[in-house]
Amino acid sequence: MTHGALAGVKVVDLTHHIAGPYATKLLADFGADVLKVERPGGDPARRLPPFHHDDPHPEKSLPFLYLNTNKRSLMLNLKTQQGREILLELISDADALVENFSPGVMAALGLDAETLHAHNPGLVVASVSNFGQTGPWRDYRATEIVEYALGGLMYIFGAYDREPLKHALHQAQFKAGTNLASATLMALYHQRLTGQGQRVDVSIQESIASALRDVTNNYTYTGAVRRRQPNHTGDLTRLRAVSDGYVLPNPGLGASLDWNILVDFLEAPALDDPMFDNASARLENAEALGEILDEIFATKQKQDIFYAAHQKRFIYGVIDSPEETMDNPQINARGYYVPLDHPELGEITFPGAPFLMSGSPWAVESAAPALGQHNGEVLGALGYDATRMAYLTASEVI
Amino acid sequence: MAGPLQGVRIVEMGQLIAIPSAMKWLADMGAEVIRLESVQRLESYRTDSLYHNDVEGDFWNRGANFYEQNRNKLGLTLDLSRDEGRDVLRDLIVTADVFAENFTPRVIRNFGLEYRDLRKIRPDIIMVSSTGYGFEGPWSNFGATGPATEGAAGLAYITGYKGGGPMMSEIPYTDYTAGEHTVAAVMLALMHRLNTGQGQFIDVSQTQTCSATIPEALLDWTVNGRVQDRLGNEDPAMSPHGCYPCAGDDRWIAIAIDSDEAWLALCQVMGRADWSADDRYRDVLLRIRHREELDKMLAFETRSHDNHELMGKLQAAGIAAGAVMDSEDLLFNQHLKERGFYEVVPHHPDTGMPPLPYASRPWKLSETPADPPKPAPIMGQHNRQILAGLLGRTDADIAALEEANVIGYVPLAPRGVRRPSLDEQVRQGRMQRYDTNYAERVREWFGIGEQA
Repeated sequence: MTHGALAGVKVVDLTHHIAGPYATKLLADFGADVLKVERPGGDPARRLPPFHHDDPHPEKSLPFLYLNTNKRSLMLNLKTQQGREILLELISDADALVENFSPGVMAALGLDAETLHAHNPGLVVASVSNFGQTGPWRDYRATEIVEYALGGLMYIFGAYDREPLKHALHQAQFKAGTNLASATLMALYHQRLTGQGQRVDVSIQESIASALRDVTNNYTYTGAVRRRQPNHTGDLTRLRAVSDGYVLPNPGLGASLDWNILVDFLEAPALDDPMFDNASARLENAEALGEILDEIFATKQKQDIFYAAHQKRFIYGVIDSPEETMDNPQINARGYYVPLDHPELGEITFPGAPFLMSGSPWAVESAAPALGQHNGEVLGALGYDATRMAYLTASEVI
Repeated sequence: MAGPLQGVRIVEMGQLIAIPSAMKWLADMGAEVIRLESVQRLESYRTDSLYHNDVEGDFWNRGANFYEQNRNKLGLTLDLSRDEGRDVLRDLIVTADVFAENFTPRVIRNFGLEYRDLRKIRPDIIMVSSTGYGFEGPWSNFGATGPATEGAAGLAYITGYKGGGPMMSEIPYTDYTAGEHTVAAVMLALMHRLNTGQGQFIDVSQTQTCSATIPEALLDWTVNGRVQDRLGNEDPAMSPHGCYPCAGDDRWIAIAIDSDEAWLALCQVMGRADWSADDRYRDVLLRIRHREELDKMLAFETRSHDNHELMGKLQAAGIAAGAVMDSEDLLFNQHLKERGFYEVVPHHPDTGMPPLPYASRPWKLSETPADPPKPAPIMGQHNRQILAGLLGRTDADIAALEEANVIGYVPLAPRGVRRPSLDEQVRQGRMQRYDTNYAERVREWFGIGEQA
């Protein structure tokens, strides 16, 4: 791409699965030239479900197709000497190399940061790993659920009297991927100003643990250990079942100043009681309050109470299914879902821009690449002729 | 050596998490962040979760959430409903690279602070607005919380126990999702400005940032017409996979068996050679078919183990396993200690608070690390530094602003939230337990005092 915030930024992308590819997708969708270097057999994310029309084909994984927009693919065997040499040629004029191997793998491939910087001192070498590149747990194994456990989010997630829970899907990976994009951009900003490269070390565990609000401060401030909450905590903002789904009530600032506003809105005279009319009292009488609220909400309807609340500037929320998000008038007015053409699969409706930039907009110009789709183009640009490429192919380097 | 963002000035009109957490991370990395608040409208993060649950005196300078989100920033109080307040803000914006806010568009328009207004006085300004649903569109003026956008984005619906209703975590999770994307967005805009000299407007919809992280579910609907079931802790491709009880009160371990080798290793560590010999469990498809009974069998075995000890044994055998860590486990964790993840931040002497550890950042930059942290500002702490030092206002100007309560040092209507006693919070289930010697333990573990 020639426009976008990162026009002219070249990224060699050794990442696989989710966290790394989400970071480089953010860079690619805002204009960076991202070359995805895939191992023989390809990024394991090509085997991630769900698949297009449930066909488990390596070019049809929907998460892979989402995570690799705007990238080119070079299949390269880094375990061969020629493969390693080609990689070093590729980084010689790159701005960043991004990787998410287990710590130590890059060094084992002869691609430690010192070697990379010897070839290109200005290179940003950005890594994301489960527990970071240092520390006693560096080589611990992890999957999404293990990150939730060790990051501290799982303990406070779920029902009071049941086992701790994780979010659906792969939130820890996406969170770390976002942070990897940010940290890489900070290093690129410094590189643009000074020419200096550096190493970036992002930890998935720390991505979870740095986003827990006052959970650890509850301990350092009072000695208390926060846990999964029972339904009745005096908190007016807990998810409540209504007759046709779920809403998130939130009376906002108004009701904390004048409790009667909330009593009137919910048509709930039982709440018109000094037991509930200020925040401290509500915490003391939490269980009684919760029971009354459950009964009241069971009589309401999702859309009705949501729009009625916002007329009063209460900040209610709705719980929508993936299907319902596509009918949401706000999401549609902003054109969030975008149709993208895939050369083999036709038009697919994708989740679009995570944020809108007026001067350097998000754009998808090409679908995720087929495995090795750009081998010829990339090696041709490095000066390899057809004979040499045939040799590399025959010796399973590319 | 210092952070890469030295020389970048950010004016923040933020509240709660979405913008403050993002600007905190930019401040950590060297940006000068001037944070606006007012003595007229006290942010709830200054009134709750207080040090020692103490609502007396200047309690607004002792809020855990406020310190968590506003490290390394300068604080200026300003009443933007007054012309004099908006004059100060406009003067600040002339000197700024970035203006960041997370109020509703209605508020921003009322104050005359839209991007088109700001670019008239600072043509290359980068403005970032973070809202629940987006700055434009029919819901744009609907206020939102993290849980509301977790609901609107589709994440809450697909999360929850199998057969149960939707669930969300105990924190405003998507506030952070928006904040994390906002850091990336501001960095992209700074890169664009280096390339072109141009500023721009960034419109962050918290809902969209969250939807961007659940493509599996959204594409399963748009392509396959399927709405995924709530699966609890199950993984469709692994078994056993879940959270299992351990010895002690509310102690758990997460275990993910992602290969046949891991399964055989699990059988060995748990001392159940009979499981590995059982043909019903020999490959992943069979183990998925027998998921429920395997989960019960494994839970029966884990019950007698300490979760951290068992994690060590399982990890040594190459199994992905993790103790479900609570806040005490996190703070006193050797790995995070050696990584320097929790940073000790001193507090202003007026607060009477000792230096305390706070979560830092999920990244380390080898050549441009963060400087040692400074605490969030007490109310109005940098009024004079900013007004006199940066904007050249005279003592008389500043006195007039003070006299009119355009700036100030104490909230006009302070009201703190006293939480019930710790015993009552434990009884209600808000807290699992509490320590009485926590201050000493924190001091010793983090070497606080030795540093001074």
